[in-house]
Amino acid sequence: MKFAPALFAFLALAAAPISGAATTILRGPYLQSATPTSLVIRWRTDNTEASVVSYGLERNALTLNTKAEGIATEHVVQLTNLQPGTRYYYTVGPAAVPPPAAAAEKKTTAEDAPPKNGTFSFVTPPPVGPAKPTRVWVLGDPGTKNKTQEAVRDVYYTFTGKRDTDLWLMLGDNAYPDGTDADYQKAVFEMYPQTLRSACLWPALGNHDGKSANSITQSGVYYDIFTLPTRAQAGGVMSGTEAYYSFDYANIHFICLDSHDSDRSPNGAMMQWLKADLAATQRDWIIAYFHHPTYTKGTHDSDKDSDSAGRMNDMRAIFLPVLEQGGVDLILTGHSHVYERSWLLDGHYGKSDTFVAAKHVKQTQDGRADGTGVYKKRRGRIPNEGEISVVTGSAGHAGSATKPPALNHPAFFISLNEPGSFVIDIDGLKLDAVFLNDKGAKRDWFTIVKE
Amino acid sequence: MRRAALSCVLCVLAGAVPLRAHPEIEAALTRLNARLAAAPADAEAYLERGELYLRHEDWMSAEANFLVAAELAPGHQRLARARGALALARHDPTAARTFLDAALARAPADHEALALRARAAVAAGDLAAAKRDYAAVIDALPAPPPELVLAHLALLPPDAALARLEQLIDRIGPALVLQLRALELEETTGRIDAALVRLDRLARASERPEHWLRRRGDLLARQRRPEEARRAYAAALAAARALPDWLRDSPDTRRLISELQLAASPST
Repeated sequence: MKFAPALFAFLALAAAPISGAATTILRGPYLQSATPTSLVIRWRTDNTEASVVSYGLERNALTLNTKAEGIATEHVVQLTNLQPGTRYYYTVGPAAVPPPAAAAEKKTTAEDAPPKNGTFSFVTPPPVGPAKPTRVWVLGDPGTKNKTQEAVRDVYYTFTGKRDTDLWLMLGDNAYPDGTDADYQKAVFEMYPQTLRSACLWPALGNHDGKSANSITQSGVYYDIFTLPTRAQAGGVMSGTEAYYSFDYANIHFICLDSHDSDRSPNGAMMQWLKADLAATQRDWIIAYFHHPTYTKGTHDSDKDSDSAGRMNDMRAIFLPVLEQGGVDLILTGHSHVYERSWLLDGHYGKSDTFVAAKHVKQTQDGRADGTGVYKKRRGRIPNEGEISVVTGSAGHAGSATKPPALNHPAFFISLNEPGSFVIDIDGLKLDAVFLNDKGAKRDWFTIVKE
Repeated sequence: MRRAALSCVLCVLAGAVPLRAHPEIEAALTRLNARLAAAPADAEAYLERGELYLRHEDWMSAEANFLVAAELAPGHQRLARARGALALARHDPTAARTFLDAALARAPADHEALALRARAAVAAGDLAAAKRDYAAVIDALPAPPPELVLAHLALLPPDAALARLEQLIDRIGPALVLQLRALELEETTGRIDAALVRLDRLARASERPEHWLRRRGDLLARQRRPEEARRAYAAALAAARALPDWLRDSPDTRRLISELQLAASPST
């Protein structure tokens, strides 16, 4: 709903509660379900009030306003009719900001000028299809609320500098120990405020999040906090659930699966949806992410049937063949609090003792331009051309130093018991990825090029 | 006396399990054990410890913890549901239904308990009760996920299932798996034209319409409508040929094109 700011400000004031208590923003704002033309902005206040986002193309001219119905403490406002690939400035509150006065302060044109108090910005996703340089920050199992989580975060902020994060993924176990609202407040909202308000977060459900959420009833903290596309609003095929979904960003198709709490059977709803979603995409790159790894010898062991109640087995034996058949390029998982990066793989669905490099490794190079060579794939939806599996579950903590994990799964080119996060840069038909540890060292890197 | 015996069992379990558990469970157990050491009558902590074991499929330890929680706080809101979930996981639907009845008597709006009771009723062979519970939970949830809807539909005869499905698609949107189920039901109940309309809609909405158009051809072929089937295959072929080069030249698309060429040819 858009209307003249002055009229709106008057109406908002008229409708405001008589109480003079100042309202504090407790959480956010944070960005959800971004598409080239729409975006959801959420925030929480300590008192109920109206939900208004004022926004515009210039920092000092937030001339557009969108208001949600009613009053609330959990504010959810959807902006629509946005321009793709465009920077918008915005602020949130109970009323629209007044229109710029004639004698308004001089506009700043410096993109890196510090925002005015409470004025933030985001860039809408570009049109779907054409390539655009894209940076993705990936955090697996981050939510410890401790110094390690802070160090991993700060290393990334230094690494990315003024380069915008276009989107970020959380691979589950986003807030320890129980995924409660209080856990999320400390581990997510107070940990990453600047990224939350400038880049859309796309999360996956982990087992710790699952302690306070239920996928079958779509209820609980995780489902209350996040607004995820159930109707394919951001691309892909309509899943009908926030537990698993997909979205497009430029020439990339992202698929989020629920490895924790949804039916993982071969004929289940998630599998039917996944097959249709893979068949429907036209994007150059397909990246799948979920919590439980297909292979790991870190703080979990994918060879043990009982570990994680068989979820790792299910993802490897049931879902991995379909992902590979669908031409997935990169699989991102967490759960195991280590970093493990595979060779370019295909067709390994058994335990580690059935891994045969000659059969399952599609390309034997290390993936590095400064090593034995980057991975090369053909452009197109090529089944079983090979994918890189990355377990990056150490954004909040690594395995024990005194009783270190085995880290000896043969599917992996490199295995590290170190905290860190994973960064993906995609530029056209080239994908570069790097694992940054908590000390700021680039501990792994690789490139995939499509030809 | 009984509690003392249970406590002994729990002590043994609490001591033994960490030795074979992975670090994450150990950490959670350590936290809960510390809570219980500080407050031995903390029913919530016993319940949480039971739920932890339940999630990790250690039924015996879960049961032991739930029993103590039940002694300490028999009316605990979540306990009956947790015990119902445990009984269901242990393939004891009768016990599960008893616990879940109790849970729902205390909290009729507990959707999770309702969904569990529906599953327990299916396991017990009481399909009428299962249908009632599934209908109730689906109607109560603002956005019931496809899994729940499919579970409910599986209990209904095709005509009723289709009617229910159409009603739910109107309410929650045309989720892909619901559309697939609708197509099956439409074919089963002889509503071929409705299925064709649905396939047209799916094709129009898809970036890769060739798959849906091919499916349309397959349906018409099964219905012994060869000319229409050929036209559908030809449309699928045109859609596949219209893909960008890099997709059209992919092996699976090339295979699809050659199959469609054959199917669309007048001689077939």
